[in-house]
Amino acid sequence: MVEVRRRPTAGVLAAALLAGATACGIADADENSLRSRDRLVIGVNADQPGLGERTADGSYRGFDVDVGKDIARRLGVPGGNVTFKRVTSATRETMIQNGDVDLVVASYSVTPERKVKVAFAGPYYVAHQDVLVRDSDARTIRDVHDLRGRRLCRVPGSVSFPRVHDELGVAALPVEADGYTGCLDALTSGRLDAVSTDDLILGGLAAKAAGSGPKLRIVNAPFTDEPYGVGVRRGDVGGCEAVNKAITEMYQDGTAQRLLRKWFAPVGLAFTTTVPQFEGCV
Amino acid sequence: MTAVQHAPPAGRPAPAPGRPPARRRGAARPWRTPEPPPTGVARLLPHTVAGRVRALTALAAVLLVAMLAVSWWAIANAREGVRVIGQDAGPQVVATGDLYFQLTDMDAQLANALLIGGAAGDGRTQALARYDENRQKAGTALLKAAKLADETTEDNTARDVLDALGRYEYLAGRALLLDEQSQHASGPPSDKVIDLYRQATDLMKLDVLPKAYNLTLDNGTLVRHTYEDKRSAVLAGRTWIMVTGVALLAVLLGFQLYLARRFRRLLNVPLALATLGTLALLLAGATMLSGQAGHLRKAKEEGFDSILALSRTRAISNSAAADETRFLLDPGRADAYEQVYLSKSQTVLYLKAGNLTEYNQAVQSNLAFEPGRAKFLGFLGTEANRPTESDKRRAQLADALGKALKDYQKVQANDSQMRVLVHGGQREQAVAGRSASAADFTEYDRSLQALARVHQTAFDEAVKDGDDGTSGWYAVLPIAGVVIAALVFVGVRPRLAEYRWSK
Repeated sequence: MVEVRRRPTAGVLAAALLAGATACGIADADENSLRSRDRLVIGVNADQPGLGERTADGSYRGFDVDVGKDIARRLGVPGGNVTFKRVTSATRETMIQNGDVDLVVASYSVTPERKVKVAFAGPYYVAHQDVLVRDSDARTIRDVHDLRGRRLCRVPGSVSFPRVHDELGVAALPVEADGYTGCLDALTSGRLDAVSTDDLILGGLAAKAAGSGPKLRIVNAPFTDEPYGVGVRRGDVGGCEAVNKAITEMYQDGTAQRLLRKWFAPVGLAFTTTVPQFEGCV
Repeated sequence: MTAVQHAPPAGRPAPAPGRPPARRRGAARPWRTPEPPPTGVARLLPHTVAGRVRALTALAAVLLVAMLAVSWWAIANAREGVRVIGQDAGPQVVATGDLYFQLTDMDAQLANALLIGGAAGDGRTQALARYDENRQKAGTALLKAAKLADETTEDNTARDVLDALGRYEYLAGRALLLDEQSQHASGPPSDKVIDLYRQATDLMKLDVLPKAYNLTLDNGTLVRHTYEDKRSAVLAGRTWIMVTGVALLAVLLGFQLYLARRFRRLLNVPLALATLGTLALLLAGATMLSGQAGHLRKAKEEGFDSILALSRTRAISNSAAADETRFLLDPGRADAYEQVYLSKSQTVLYLKAGNLTEYNQAVQSNLAFEPGRAKFLGFLGTEANRPTESDKRRAQLADALGKALKDYQKVQANDSQMRVLVHGGQREQAVAGRSASAADFTEYDRSLQALARVHQTAFDEAVKDGDDGTSGWYAVLPIAGVVIAALVFVGVRPRLAEYRWSK
């Protein structure tokens, strides 16, 4: 009896396999897509207060971390199955390409050069370069042009100082620091007058400094657009679209606004609460 | 004894050792050495010749019905795919892509009307007429987008666009009224008007436009899903037609052999015709479905994808042009508008550049390209590298894109000139040169539309081929089924009758 039954079943199976193989030729390899995962590894920054920062116990906290968790939840991955991994500007693309991380949420600006290597969902926020000053200077430094002749922090490898000095031609005086946390120390101790980079990073710095040293203020005169995208593997169009849908929902149900308020309202940052214009997955 | 040691023929139980070896054939007498009861599949097979003929006929009929059903299903999928992409969602997505253009142009016309002021005569009236025209078109496109929405998030987005647009018009109306009351000459209007315009344009830029653009992307996703589902179904259908068709062919050929041996006929002609008919149906069906998969692919990849991408290119280009106007209108935010103009320009056509001056130099130096090997990225780079099958169309596309690139160079040269004037403190001259550069921009926008029309032709052709390719098949299938079944019946009936009479 077993024999009798097995044969037609085997035939049907073979045919189904054949049909399946044809179908797979079109859609991207679905088993690798973000849509069909039950675990996710999310790449975040470890040294940007307010966005992605590693705490003493090894966990990560910040706006990017919260956004990553929320996207994972909306993709159907429970919090317990989400791990965070440190990425840097130098490693982000290769880590996505090698599959070391599934998503990168790390103040990762969408640029055409990067789009050749990885795909971007989102942006989930459009940051703007702005200026952070001591509250006592806020009356005299009202926009980026007022930085002429002032001591401005310069972090090697960051494009923020060249944006002010070279692109806009504002003759600010460079004071070097090792990373933006270093800039913050120099600003509070009076060794320089202003720090200029993306407003979300400034927001995080201001929050970190709150309660110690002189009061700081973000000038709120943005002069660039920095679309923060979610880096995903190139070719996973379905996964990229699923992340876009998650971001849309995040703004529609108020989660994004709540997270922005949580991380950036205490520092007086004028943030945008509407969903950004997406890059598109194809 | 040695014979017993040899491997017995498969399927027969080996005689127990010690017994005389069973005789091979012919002489076996039922009552002495009964044939072993059939085991396995054999047990299900009929024992009599008539029974076997009937069983084979039934099997052929079942396979025939299966083959026809599978073909019907695959054709239905092919037709649905062509309908959705060609006549339904596809064109509607393109219509909603224009929504962004209309909204951007509304904002640009508002800026023009405020910048021109009351002094330049009917310039303002023209700008406002265009504003109104775009408002109406945007309403129509938004309605279409909402109809297409198939998910809650998309529905919500469409509703939010409508809501934000209402608030925009309120602010725009107030700005215009205030500006008319102040009756200023050409150039930046009063601070109060600028403040209202800033609110309006921020709302457009941060709220209305991103959502309108995302809506177009969502609808593009819808088309992509339909395409993938339907094309998979068509290809799976093709596989199943081959599986059932080959099985039917095998049964019919086996039948032919069986009849030839049993009834000592050389060829059962009706059965042979049925076999040929099946083969023909199988080949025609598989070929037709391959063609359908090809038409769907062509409509999507050579038509729709480019049309959508070019509609996005127009959207981004128009919003960059609006940023150019805002740069003139609102000196307080000139830095931001300048940086955004660069970033949008790089989205349209990417060349490495740190600032607008460098970008303009790079754009002016050389944009010549070989199709498939363009050195620039961005939307126009993607279009330059998009593969096309037909040589004729490749040449058409290269021409149309070449023209668009030349016009783009002119637009960027104008922009550069305007910024040099502004930075040199000659704002008045910069504003005065706006009408000439606006004409160049319109020309560039027309070239993009002309390029899109080449893809539209490819799209229309593929959709028509897809429609024609399946037309008539709903009639062919039942007729072919009836003919093949009738031939089998005609071939088998005399044999059964013969068997019955001779018995």
